[in-house]
Amino acid sequence: MTLFWKWAIGVFLVLLLVVFLLLCKMAGGPKDAYGMLRYALPHMHRGNLKVGDDAPDARLLSLDGANHFHIRERTGARPLVVIFGSYT
Amino acid sequence: MVQIYNDYKDHADFLTVYVREAHPTDEWQMKSNVKDDVCYAQPKTLAQRVAIANDFIKRFNYPIAFGVDDIDNAANDAYSAWPERFYIIDESGRIAYRGGMGPFHYNPDEVRGWLAARYGEVKHDPPAPASAAPVASLSSPK
Repeated sequence: MTLFWKWAIGVFLVLLLVVFLLLCKMAGGPKDAYGMLRYALPHMHRGNLKVGDDAPDARLLSLDGANHFHIRERTGARPLVVIFGSYT
Repeated sequence: MVQIYNDYKDHADFLTVYVREAHPTDEWQMKSNVKDDVCYAQPKTLAQRVAIANDFIKRFNYPIAFGVDDIDNAANDAYSAWPERFYIIDESGRIAYRGGMGPFHYNPDEVRGWLAARYGEVKHDPPAPASAAPVASLSSPK
């Protein structure tokens, strides 16, 4: 392997380590950094929706587990504030 | 958010959409989840997701209308919602406000600001010192 490639690989590994250490600092530790990379990043999407777009519709289930309704059924008469989230 | 709901429920409708878990025990569980006894695995069925949502409602006596996203995460995907996000849909069915992605850009004050700009500000007395009990908040950073 030429000297150039050895240096390139070395620099790349150092950069990877720096990025991981920064992630550890941001996330709160190596376990959290791994969790962020493995489980959070694949599900975090900026998406393409913007103000002025038609609000997408989706089917939801009521808390009794028995009835479905659509987000758009709740729009029309007044503004609808939609709060997306989970317990954990 | 509950305070905002109480302040503006006479002017706007509110809907909570329960999506896939942010920090389940079998994925990226945070120390704060253990501390607050919020320990659930990522639901594999809709019934499991509904059960966790009901636990949340009961624990915090959460008053805002609720809908649970299907297990295929259709609502979550349509709105790029995970882990948490606010939207406001106006009377014509268009997006009037799109909040930032949680947790760092999840900002209830922006929702309050939008509602205040339209319906007027609702002032409150300064809050009492924080108690030890966790506050009802979907996926908010601790």
